[in-house]
Parts: sequence; C-alpha cells; structure tokens
Amino acid sequence: MARQLTPFGRLLLVVCGLGLIGYGLYKYGVLDRLARVVAPDRKQEGTVSKDDFGPVGTGSTAPAASKAAIGGGSRLARPIKVAIVTWGGYAGGIVANNGFAPTKDSLFFKDQGIQVELLVIDDFAKSRDAFRAGGDKGGVDIMWSTVDAYALEYGGLRKLNPKAIIQYDWSRGGDAIAVTSSIKAVADLKGKSLACAEATPSHYFALYVLTQGGLTNRDVDWKFTDSAVEAANLFKAGKVEAAVSWSPDVYIAARERAGAHILASTKEASNLIADIFVARGDFLEEHPEDARRFVAGWLKGVDLANANPDKTAALLAKSFSGIGLEDAKGMLQDVKLPTYAENRAFFDPQASLASYQTIFKSAQGIWRRIGKIKDVFEPYQALDTRFLEGAAEFFADAAPAKPEFEFKAPPKPAAAAILTKTVSVYFPTGSATLDENAKAVLDTQVVDLAATFGSAYLRVAGNTDNVGSRDANVRLSRARADAVTQFLVSKGFDRNKFEVVGHGPDKPLATNDSDEGRAKNRRTDFEVIPR
Amino acid sequence: MEIREAVSKHRARGLILAGVAVFFGLWCVLSYASLVPDVILPSPTEVLQAFPRLHFEEALVRSAGWSLYRVTMGFVLAAVVAIPLGLLMGTFPPVKLFCAPVLDPLRFLPISALVPLTIVWFGIEEKQKIVFLFMGTVVYLLPLVVEAVENVDDVFLQTATTLGATRSQIVGQVLIPGSLPAIGEALRVMNGIGWTYVILAEVINAPYGLGALINVAGKRSHVDQIFALVLVILLIGVVTDQIIRFVNQRLFFWKS
Repeated sequence: MARQLTPFGRLLLVVCGLGLIGYGLYKYGVLDRLARVVAPDRKQEGTVSKDDFGPVGTGSTAPAASKAAIGGGSRLARPIKVAIVTWGGYAGGIVANNGFAPTKDSLFFKDQGIQVELLVIDDFAKSRDAFRAGGDKGGVDIMWSTVDAYALEYGGLRKLNPKAIIQYDWSRGGDAIAVTSSIKAVADLKGKSLACAEATPSHYFALYVLTQGGLTNRDVDWKFTDSAVEAANLFKAGKVEAAVSWSPDVYIAARERAGAHILASTKEASNLIADIFVARGDFLEEHPEDARRFVAGWLKGVDLANANPDKTAALLAKSFSGIGLEDAKGMLQDVKLPTYAENRAFFDPQASLASYQTIFKSAQGIWRRIGKIKDVFEPYQALDTRFLEGAAEFFADAAPAKPEFEFKAPPKPAAAAILTKTVSVYFPTGSATLDENAKAVLDTQVVDLAATFGSAYLRVAGNTDNVGSRDANVRLSRARADAVTQFLVSKGFDRNKFEVVGHGPDKPLATNDSDEGRAKNRRTDFEVIPR
Repeated sequence: MEIREAVSKHRARGLILAGVAVFFGLWCVLSYASLVPDVILPSPTEVLQAFPRLHFEEALVRSAGWSLYRVTMGFVLAAVVAIPLGLLMGTFPPVKLFCAPVLDPLRFLPISALVPLTIVWFGIEEKQKIVFLFMGTVVYLLPLVVEAVENVDDVFLQTATTLGATRSQIVGQVLIPGSLPAIGEALRVMNGIGWTYVILAEVINAPYGLGALINVAGKRSHVDQIFALVLVILLIGVVTDQIIRFVNQRLFFWKS
C-alpha cells in the first residue's frame, strides 16, 4: 500500500542520503583531496638543524653606487624622529640627545647641529606602522631592528627602500631562555613546550641555541605568542616548560617561578643578536647630511656612555618611564655599545665572523627554511655604510677595534656545559693531523659557534670508539682535540678560550658493536661553558 | 529625501550598490593615482594578489574556519548565559537590582586586560580563546536582553492580567514572546562583537586563525595581506549577519 511520506520523513531520508554520500567520499579520499584544494594546510616548515648556521660566504660586496660620497639633498628643518623601545642599548643616543625630546642642550645640537626626537614605541608592529608613515607624516624616519629580524621584514618594507645605517648595541644577556628545574642543558628541551614571540629575535635566538645543542626546530612544542612579554608571562604562570623572552621580563619570570632558572642567554651567545637602526630610503636621499651627523653624534654619545656608566644609568632612569636606577644599571649590563671602530668592523663586507653580512645571510636562510619569507636579498642591498664612512672625520683619533673578550684563565674543569655541539671531524687511523676536509668541517661547523658564543669558553672533547687499547685511545683523542684547538686558535681566538679534553672510548654515544655505532662514537664534542 | 521615507526594494538595492561603488572608487583613486603611498594603502590589485599566498601557504580557509568556530562558540555561550539571566533580570526588578552593581560596570572593562587573566585561569588552548570571546560578548549582550524584556509594552501585561493569566502564563506567553524579536535583533548585532576581539583572542598559541594571521602579517609589514584578511573578516561578518537576519524573520514572524 503506497503511503505519503511526511515532511519529517522526507527530511530524514535526505539527511541519511547525504550522510551516506559524505561517508563514501571520505572513505575513498575524495574529501581529503577536496580539502587540499579548498582549504590547503599551511606550507610545511622545513627543518632547521646545526648545519644551517655558519659562515655563508662573504663574496658579495656592495656595488660601486653605494660607495659614492654623500651629497645633494637639503638639511632637515625638523628633528629627526627615531623609534626605540624600552631597552638599554639606546644609551649612546640618549646621552647624545640628553633625553628623548629634541633640545638645543644636547651633543646632537652642539656638535652636529641637528635635533633628534626619540620615541618609545614598545609594540613592534606599531613601530613599523610609524616607519611606514614616515617622519614627515607623524611617523618616524629611523626605526630600531635587529639584523636577524631585519632579514625577515626587509622584503615587506622594500618599497620604502630601507637601509641599515648603524649598529647601536649587541644584546649581552638581553635575550634569554628561562626553563624549569628539570632542564639542565639544551638537549633536555626535546619534546618540551617552549613559548616565544614568533618571527622575532627571541625566535631566532631559540633556533640558534636549539640547533647548536643538537636539536632541530621540530624537536620542541612551540607555543607562539604575540610579544616577548607574553611569552615570559606564560612561563611565570606555569603554562609552558620553557620560554624565550628578553630582559627584564625573562629574568623576573625565572625568579618568580619556583625552581626555574636561565638556561642560556646572549651573555654567552654574545655575537648573535645585533641591534641596528634602519632609515627610510627617502629620508636618506633627501637629507643625507643629517643622517651622517646623526650617526656621528650617536657614536660620540656611545663613547660618553661607555666612559660614564653611572651618569648614563641615571639619565636612562630619568628618561624611560617606570625604570628605576637599579633597573637602568641592569639594562646597561645587558648590552654592549659598539664604538665607531667596532661599527666599521661589524659592517665590513669582508668580515667573516659574526658580522652584519653573515648574520643577515644566516638569518635569511633560516626564515626561508621555516617558510616565513620567500624572496631573498643580498645583505648589501639593505645596507648603506656611507654615513658611517662619512663620519670618519669625527673619529680620527679613535683606536682600532680590539678583541672584546679576554680569557685570563681556562675554564674550571668541572663547569657544566649549556650545550654540546657534536661534530664528526675525520682523522686517518692513528693520526692526529687535520686534513683539508677536516679543516673545512671545522670552518663551517665550529668557527661560527666559537665566534657567536664570543664570551663563553669552549671545551673541545675528543672521543674514540673502543678499537685498540683504552690508554692509547685516550692519548689519541686528546691529541686530536689539541689539533682542533690549534686550528681554532689560528683563526684568531684566544688560546685560553678552549679547554682540551680526551675522553677516549669512555663516553660513547652509540653501541660499539656495529660499524655505524663506532662511526658515531668517533667524534669531537664542543661544549659551550658560560664564564 | 523625506524623513523616514519608505524606500522601495529596487531603490534600496541601487543605493547599497552605489555606496559600495563610491567607496571602492575612492580606494582605487587614492591608491592607483598614488595619492597615498602603497605601503600605507595598497591598491585593490595588490590586495587581490595577496590571496594566493594566503590560500596556498598560510592556510587561509582553515584559519577562517577556526576563527569562525571560536567566535561562534563564544557567541553561543554568551547567548546561553545572557538570555535566561536577562529574562530573569528584566522580569523581576529585585533580581536586576541584585545583579546590577556587579554586572553593569563590566561594560567598562578594558577587554584587552582580560587576555593575561584568561590565560592564567584557562590555559593557552582553545578554552581560553573561547572564554575570552564569551566574556567580550556577554557583557554587551546582557543589558540588551534586559532592555528587550523591559520594553514589552505594559498594555500586553495588563490585558493578560485582566484576562486572568497566572504569573507563569504572563512570563511564558507575554514577556518571552514579546521580547524574543528584540533579543533576536540583539543577537544579530552582538555577533559582530566577537569578530572585533578575534585579533586579541588569537595573540597566543593560535596555529590557525585570521587574527593570528593579521598579527603575523603586521610584524612582517605585509599591509596587503592585512587588507586581504580584513576583507575576509568583513565578508564572513556580512554573511553571518544575513543568516541571522533570515533566521530571525522566520522564527519571530509575529514581530511584523
């Protein structure tokens, strides 16, 4: 007997039908394929490992055009506007400007005839908005950046033709990783949750430390935040096991969470995070003389600040809101203000260690690998050293740059390492002589590590497999570690920076029962030891 | 133009199109004629060109889905809390007086201050984001629901009383049906509020999300991407608005 379906019955049938069709599509992978077209997932991140950092070649030199002398343009009729953040690295400029506001009672005006206004814009994105607007339209002419962050954002800012013009500080403790008590070395971070502001110097610092310690970017559970302060707060609240942030928040967080401590900071990785000023292209083109005087005045201020730290701290405390005298002293201790000569050395296109060129290239490679940028640029495209060169007349009697760190004594033998970089340096059987291959490996894997951890000791530990007598192996591994150290010293490092150890077969990484395992055990460990 | 004149459907459509056209034309003139530098205002072409990269590399659709999910969940939670509570407060003045000193000032709450608090209380996963959006929405929705109940004309109440209705009959058959259309309208307006907070909601640990994408695009100075993402949010907003409008008309047909 035919019966009329009720509307509800019809609906039920339609739903069941759709469900069946949907299940079929899912079962045969059509839905997956459809999802890949309609809603593709984020492009897969590449893996960053220890091999991605290191010397990248210094081949590219600036084209002749940028060597041209400064000329033309007009003098600026208003103060130069500069975006800064709450950070001790601006001490040189703050001293030269006698505070933040433009004033005629300043070194900038008295010596250089320019006025400067320093604007504190702590929000990263807002400082970029101000830079895009430009000094003529209520924004700024010059903004802060770091070489690693600049390599990331240069593509987006390229239409403004921005140029790096001066390095105002090295972060020396300003960036740090706070961890819980169970994490003693970088390798312990494997599988742990790590908070950090994405695509910032914190992120770069974390990638560097992780990879040098034998991990990759995929080995930690990233919890990305919008700002470094939030990352520190997550750690303080116990929501993550580690956080990368900056001074003073990261130190406060490590102090306030029970059992927490600082694992590593730019105190050890002293030549990694370089703070630089970036100026708008139109500003440099229209007012090159003002830019030259800005650079000269700033670096004169650096000399003054380095000579009078107490007076400088007092001025910092007076200028930054919410910063007391003790805070200001701490902020100054977390940075190193490079002098005129050190600036010239940093931007020298021929410099091969921890320079603008090498950091820019390394950082660009890293960001590209994890999919943060697509296009790559030559470091010199984003740089204009004419203003620095043009300021030479003011620093005629300046001493040339000297090695910054002195190693009066070797490290204490029992000192714990914050990270261990394991490198396979090949030696012929029974020999402790480095061949060209081995030297090349050290050049790419270790020289940069030693330069970046400029202030830290490096323990060079030779290891062998268990073939042969233990005594002979210990002797041989020590001789090999010594050869490695001699090679590094020949690259310009202080002999006292290194401690030579021969473990022989005592510290195997893998089993000695297989060829593969034995090969793994024949290695040189480079342990970074804070001073 | 007359005050409150009736506009025919045909003319209304024309006016809407004209409004969009003028706005779009202004954008074209300002950007293509380079009256405003493109690092401040990208041209429509640049914004369009930003889409392929967002789609194929930054998971635009998934991000939109996640943001829609968070905003909708926050909104539904807010409705589930605000409607019964608002009905109670609107119906019984003592309840309102009891709650008002606590609930009224909440509207002045700077919502961004809640981000660190919600993290401490609810962690850094989805729960925190949804609770944050719930808080941002409910403080505005509640007063509107109360107002909707209070605005039901006394004439209906008196008539019902005169006809001998009991207390539960008055609430169930006069106050609730009388206020529902206005509540529906309030829900429609408040649906947009969640989207205005989505950037704040997604500042922490949001692998997918339109707000998170905007945050990152801002850091990399990709103004074209920011514009493209804002357009997507606007589009989602308009579509959901139309859907709620349609549902309201169907559900509360007695209003007109």
